[in-house]
Order: sequence, then C-alpha cells, then structure tokens
Amino acid sequence: MNAAMLEVRDLSLAYGDVQVLFGVSLRVDEGEIVTLLGSNGAGKTTTLRAISGLRPPRGGEVLFSGQSLLAVPASKRAEMGIALVPEGRELWPLLTVRENLELGAYTRSARARSAANLEKVFRLFPRLRERHAQMAGSLSGGEQQMCAIGRALMSEPRLLMLDEPSLGLAPILVDQVFDIVRTLHQQGITILLVEQNLQKALEVARRGYVIETGSVKLSGTSADLLADPAIRSAYLGL
Amino acid sequence: MQRFTELVVAAVLLAGLYATMAYGLGLIYGVLRVVNLNHGGIIMAGAYIGWLLHEKFGIDPYLSIPVVVAVSFVLGIAIYRGLVRHLPRGPAGAVQSLLLLFGVWLVLRNAAYLLFTGNDQTIRTEYSTRSLAAFGLAVSVNRVAVFGIAVLTLVVLHLFLTRTFTGKAIRAVAQNADSCTLVGVDVERIYSLTFGIGTALAGLAGLLGASLFSFNPSYGSGDLLKSFVIVVLGGLGSVMGTAVAALILALVEVFAILALPAYLTGAVGFVLLVLVLVLRPGGLFGQRVLG
Repeated sequence: MNAAMLEVRDLSLAYGDVQVLFGVSLRVDEGEIVTLLGSNGAGKTTTLRAISGLRPPRGGEVLFSGQSLLAVPASKRAEMGIALVPEGRELWPLLTVRENLELGAYTRSARARSAANLEKVFRLFPRLRERHAQMAGSLSGGEQQMCAIGRALMSEPRLLMLDEPSLGLAPILVDQVFDIVRTLHQQGITILLVEQNLQKALEVARRGYVIETGSVKLSGTSADLLADPAIRSAYLGL
Repeated sequence: MQRFTELVVAAVLLAGLYATMAYGLGLIYGVLRVVNLNHGGIIMAGAYIGWLLHEKFGIDPYLSIPVVVAVSFVLGIAIYRGLVRHLPRGPAGAVQSLLLLFGVWLVLRNAAYLLFTGNDQTIRTEYSTRSLAAFGLAVSVNRVAVFGIAVLTLVVLHLFLTRTFTGKAIRAVAQNADSCTLVGVDVERIYSLTFGIGTALAGLAGLLGASLFSFNPSYGSGDLLKSFVIVVLGGLGSVMGTAVAALILALVEVFAILALPAYLTGAVGFVLLVLVLVLRPGGLFGQRVLG
C-alpha cells in the first residue's frame, strides 16, 4: 500500500450558523487519481476549500504527507505542493494569460523554475501560447479552464485538486479536460478530482467517494461504484 | 488667447498633484474595498511634516519628500494593522471602516489643532515666488516642480504595478484575492503594503500641495472630495484613467474661475461628480479594477 499523500479525518465545517460538512473522511495515496462525487451543494467544493485552507474547518484533521495542515496558513500550502483549480476558474480577468500563469509560480521554489514551467504549460496548452498577451477575462470558457489548470501547474504541485473542471464546457472540451487529467497523472501528479460528471470521473479515477449532505455516503474503487445499484439509479439515471 | 493658454497650463500643472492624491485613494479602494476617509487627514499630516522639517531644521520641502513618504507609508501600515484589519471584510465592514477612518481623521485633525493652532501656514522658500518664462508665459517654478514630481511618481508606480511580481500580486488581489492565496500570496501582507502605498501617496500629495498653497489642520478635506471625483470619473487603479480624470477636474476648476464667483469654484467638483454619477455611473472608462 502506498503512503497517504492526503488524509482528511472527520472534517466538519460551517458557514456562520449553517453547517456544511459533517465529518468528511477521505484519503488520497501518492500517485492516485481519486474522485469526489456528489450533487450540487453536497459539500464537495467546501471540502476542497478546507483542504487548501481558504475556509477554516470547525473540527477534524487534514494531513498532507503525514503533517497536519490545520496550523499552516493557506498561503503557505502552495509551497508544500498543494494546488487547487477552483470551481469557475477564478482567474484574474484583467491580467494577461501570461501574467496569470507567471503569478501561479509565486512561491519562492516555483519562481526559480518559472520560465521552464511556463514553457511546459505552453506545450501542454498551445492555445495559451497563442493567447498569452490577451486578458484572461477575454478567453473562452475552455481556454479559461486551461489557463486555470496551467496556473496551478506553475506552482509545481504534488497534489492537484480540480473542482468541476468540466463544468459549463462543450462535450468535446469535456473530453479534452479529462485527457489532460490523465496526462498530468502520467507525469506523476496525484489528483483529487471533484466532479458532477460521474461517468467520466469514474472512468479516469481509480477510486471514488460519494458525498451527500456533508458526509461521505459511499466509497470504493471506480468499478465498484459504477456497479453500485444505488449510484446507478441516483446519479446515472439507470 | 494668451489667457486661455495660461489657464490650460495652470490646469495641466495642477492635474499632476490631483492625480497623485486620487491614485492613493483609488488604489486602496480598488484592492481593499475600503474608502479611506482618513485620506484628507494624511494629506494634512504630510503638509505639516514638511512644514515642521522646513521651520525647525531648514530642510527644503522637496528634500523632505523621502521623509514624508516614509513616515506616511509607516503610518498607513500601522493604521491598517492596528485598526482596519480587525474590521469584518466585505460589505459588512463597509460602514465600520467609514466610521473608523473618519474617526482617525478627526483625531489627526484635532491633534494638529492642538499642536499647530488653526492658523494658516505656508512653506516659504527663496524660490517660492520665482517663475520660469517659456513661450511668453510665466510659470511658477514650484508648480512645475510639483508637476514633475507627481508625473514621476505616477510613472514609477505604474511600472511597479505592471512590471514587478509584487505589483502584479497587488493587481491580482484586487481582482480575486482567494486565487492569490491559492498560489501562495500572503494576501494580508498585500493589503498592508497597499494601504501603506496609498497612504504614502496622500502624504506626498499633502507635502506637494503645501509648497503651493497655505494650509491649516482642516487642509485635506477638499482634496479628499476632489479625489473622490477623480476616482469616480477615472475608474480604479488605471494610471491613465486617473491622469485624464485629474486633468478634466483641473480644467473644469480652472476655467470655472472665468464664469463663476470665487466662492463657488470649490463647488464645481461636486457638480461634476453628480453629473458623472447620473450620466456615466461606471466612470468614463468603465470600472476596470487595476487592469
């Protein structure tokens, strides 16, 4: 068994008086693609935001390579190798594509290799090279998603978390996004993928967790989950 | 025609000062979403620091620029770290920050009344009354110097915001702070730095203004309002937008002298503000936040 890269134990979190997470537990081993599934408002995005430190949890534990993250400020987590491609891209719309990518390499260690990594991102996404001088806000949805993934890659993550990268994209682009996820995984990046597109996510992932109203209801290998009658009826309409 | 040219030149020279002070206000609002009502207080403080250095130590006001900029920068950071940071973020904190910073302004103003009385002061140097002759126009040396320093400041600031990593991070925080945290930017540090820079610009504007005009502890309130007009007109954070808006305000003010009695020229800025808010609420160039 591989070492756990990310381990979330009994995570609970509230926005003001509204509790959103009720004891979420999951683990992602080094070199895995794991997917976190569930319907709108189930708590997937919140779980990722807690892992990246944007939202402090109310209770529970988050371990990265065995080290507790709870005392680590959010802005120090990129340096540790954690990157999040947020839902809705969240680019800096009035900075150029190039500036967006370069700022992705803000941490000291990443800055030193910024030029080489920019070249890598441009090779992965030739469209971004073409549009490097354009404002990020003027890109199409698919290009913005590439830019957001590219920005995350600039920090040289060991764990890449993607929050609904296929949301709002045309079917052909959705396939592209999942191809990219596979490519990045082959390059050695561990991936935690949040998706509503259950079928696609389970095709690419090795294991999955299904989260419902703030806690994990099901987990298992992708094949098991795909075969689960409850999932087939609730999420796939089969 | 001669008179016309004179007024245009006067307006252009004044616009430099206006742009400097407005940029400070716009930068802080653009990045922190906080209206720095203490802007006028810092403008006044900058004037008095320059005046003190000149009266007590005989330091030329232009040589005291680094001191004034440094002191107001540190003062800005102290106000941010000590006060503003503890307010709730976003719309919930908007009213509190207005009250808080207005309070700081009152404290500064009254401290100045205690220390310096309410008498008008001026910084008088040997070149205060000297003027340059060019193209048949006589232009005050001081006004040219203030314009030059203001333009230089804005150019340096523009280069800082567009060419350096930290400058780009400031613009990025204005556009999406969470994404900055995700790539490793310490957003609190950027807020603090931005508040310092915005405040330093106010201090500098105060010092530059003091070498042109007389001032007392209430100095700066008119400038705060002029800064508002320019920010609304020119949008947030664009150096070009701010410069154009500052020029428009200066032109309108200067030419108002021809048509209006002197006691009404101060109101011209507000008329302009109302007109802009009614006709083009997004400003002349749209609301581009530090683009």
